[in-house]
Amino acid sequence: MIGKGRLRPGFLTVFRREFDRLWRRPFLLFLTTILPLLLMGVLAAVFSAGLATRLPIAVLDLDNTDLSRTIIRTVDATPDTAVVRNVSDLAEGRRLILSGEVHGLLMLPIHLERDVLSGRRPEVVFFYNTQTMTTGNLTLRGVSAAVPSVAAGIRLALRTAEGQPVDAAQEALAPIPVQVNPLFNPTLNYAHFLLAALLPSVLQVIIVTTMAYTIGLDVETVHRLRLLRRLGGGLWPAMAGKILPYTLLFLVVLGIADWVLFGFLDMPLRGDRYLLVLAGILFILANQFIGVLLALLLRPMASAISIGTLLMAPAFGFMGIGFPRIGMNAFAYYWGQIIPGTWYLMARIDQTIRGTPIDLSWKPIAVLLFMVLLLASLTALRLEMIRARRQRRMEQAAATGRVAG
Amino acid sequence: MRSIFTVCRIELGRILSLKPAFSVLIVATIIYAALYPQPYRTEALRHVPIAVVDLDGTDSSRELARRVDASADVAVAAVLPDQASAEREVHARNLFGILVIPQYFERDLLHNRQSPVALYADASYFLIYQRISGGVTAVAKTMGAEVETARLIAVNVDPRIAAAASDPMPLTAVPLFNPQGGYATYILPAAFVLIMQQTLLIGVGLLGTYRNDALRTGPAASIGPISVVAGKLLAYLILEAVVVPFYLIVIPYLYDIPRLGTPLSIFIFALPFVLAVGALGMVIASLFRNPLTVQLVSAALGIPFLFLAGFSWPTEAMPPFLHAIATVLPSTSAINGIVAVSQLGAPLPYVRQPFLTLWVLAAVYTAIAILLESGSRRRLAAKA
Repeated sequence: MIGKGRLRPGFLTVFRREFDRLWRRPFLLFLTTILPLLLMGVLAAVFSAGLATRLPIAVLDLDNTDLSRTIIRTVDATPDTAVVRNVSDLAEGRRLILSGEVHGLLMLPIHLERDVLSGRRPEVVFFYNTQTMTTGNLTLRGVSAAVPSVAAGIRLALRTAEGQPVDAAQEALAPIPVQVNPLFNPTLNYAHFLLAALLPSVLQVIIVTTMAYTIGLDVETVHRLRLLRRLGGGLWPAMAGKILPYTLLFLVVLGIADWVLFGFLDMPLRGDRYLLVLAGILFILANQFIGVLLALLLRPMASAISIGTLLMAPAFGFMGIGFPRIGMNAFAYYWGQIIPGTWYLMARIDQTIRGTPIDLSWKPIAVLLFMVLLLASLTALRLEMIRARRQRRMEQAAATGRVAG
Repeated sequence: MRSIFTVCRIELGRILSLKPAFSVLIVATIIYAALYPQPYRTEALRHVPIAVVDLDGTDSSRELARRVDASADVAVAAVLPDQASAEREVHARNLFGILVIPQYFERDLLHNRQSPVALYADASYFLIYQRISGGVTAVAKTMGAEVETARLIAVNVDPRIAAAASDPMPLTAVPLFNPQGGYATYILPAAFVLIMQQTLLIGVGLLGTYRNDALRTGPAASIGPISVVAGKLLAYLILEAVVVPFYLIVIPYLYDIPRLGTPLSIFIFALPFVLAVGALGMVIASLFRNPLTVQLVSAALGIPFLFLAGFSWPTEAMPPFLHAIATVLPSTSAINGIVAVSQLGAPLPYVRQPFLTLWVLAAVYTAIAILLESGSRRRLAAKA
């Protein structure tokens, strides 16, 4: 009773109480900070190289001439591939691919040099493993850069031998060259593409499940929700005081992850940093309300956490980073539409690597804001329903009490 | 031996009757099988919309644009007057690339000069970038080879030699195992292995942390720790004898994912995987002791585990200290081994290394589980 005079109901009281609770429950603090940072750290380490270089491939050289050795040297010299094995037949190459030791096999046929010089167009064959798509495509990129460059040398030699001047011959080699410019991510860095999207995806799962947990702790004890409301002096301040401490924590976690991305992995920040932070706050809030709603709708708490995991763990695929949303079927497209992360990743890509003009940046942020408002209203509605039901029950109890008395 | 069957029967009963365990091991398994593959059902990205900025406006430039549009990879969705307006469309995510055909494109071609075109492709989504750059480059190359051959024929070179001169040593790329480069064929076999691991891990973690009166009291309470662990593992094996064929044979069949391996070799490889995951689940249960802790900590582990397996991102590009972490996870060896066996049709001797790794993991985790089980017994006895 001593503290009663000092304890003024309001937002701050609930806010402080929630922070106290985090200190008293180290597990909750671990869940909201250490665990996501740990997982993000592992992912950051996985992609820290940014580019995959010198992927191992094998060579089957049946020709063994200057030309075939030049090809092998050139393929080995490209950044993408490294020739690690010389095999003696196709079966050995097949075994190496199947066991995962190499990602591809380059076959240089017998009489390659002789046939090339006599214009018989012998084929150089590259077998590559497309079951592992990224790796397979990277090795193909290396080989298909190297072999034509050797071929270009031969074509040049054929022409200059016929008396064409070198520069004219060079121009004639590729009448329509395509200058390919990768917009927004000129080095095709995987850390800026995949890692930057994976970090919020991990956080999203954690936000939803921990919010379901912490609200569940209040819901499962009979008086907590009422107590919370009284401490906050009303529905909205109580809700804000309960939710905002976690918003701050998650924002710090997201901030640390982004600090690593921008500071150590050279992620560019070409857009507006305030928009990026705003989108981050809305993203966290939207996921928090999803967790809160799950805890208010589903009991026991374990079910709320299960459903939260079930919804959020497979969400990454729907957000269209690996496989773009424009290629998805209608169900996957619309399912992705209702995941906050989809819109946050759009806003994030806009403000980091794309440097989208401000007037085109608002759509994902507006959608996130709408989601937050909608989910907050639903939460308030649900809380009002719970209160109304409890009041009715108490009145009934009082009435039956009077009758019995 | 009989005590092992008793424990096994109790555990199977709990899988069916304990609601949280049932929802993870059975219900979630079915929901994931339906939900997870949805984004990838179309397999390939086709007709990515791009803009053409044709500053030349000649027959040749229109022919190039028409051929680009006709390719399966890209579609010309707009012909725009300048690059700036096209860039706005890219920023708005309405279009994903810009092909700029410069002025004098046709004139330079007719004068036997090089006539370059510029392609700007959205590299903030790698698959889109790959499609656009691959598609347009291939079209330009074909058209360029035709031009070159025609030029050589025009100066009276034999057509056969002309063709050889433009491409003396053609490179034929043969994609193995996933010839269409389908995204579902690529990601799902690996993801299914991970889903099996995560559901079994969480499920066993829940079974081990909820109250287990049938085993702690009554006649079963006297069963030794080795029999308890063995009996539980047997129960998980029986459960997974249904789940493994469902995820690795039935579901891939329903989603039209090709499979080269025989069911028998897949099951042989899955055996140490299930044992390792089941034993690891028991270890986790003894360490965490609370079902909610198991659920909350495991929820976000799936994504990092998938990437640690070195499946989407090559192991060669990861820093070496991660290899050690990756090796202790059953999913790493299981994804690489099961994908090799089922998708690549690799015979078991070729995947000896991940197979043996899984057996070692299974043995080590089972030993730890037995130690922890006997430890918790002693604690219980001390309390009583």
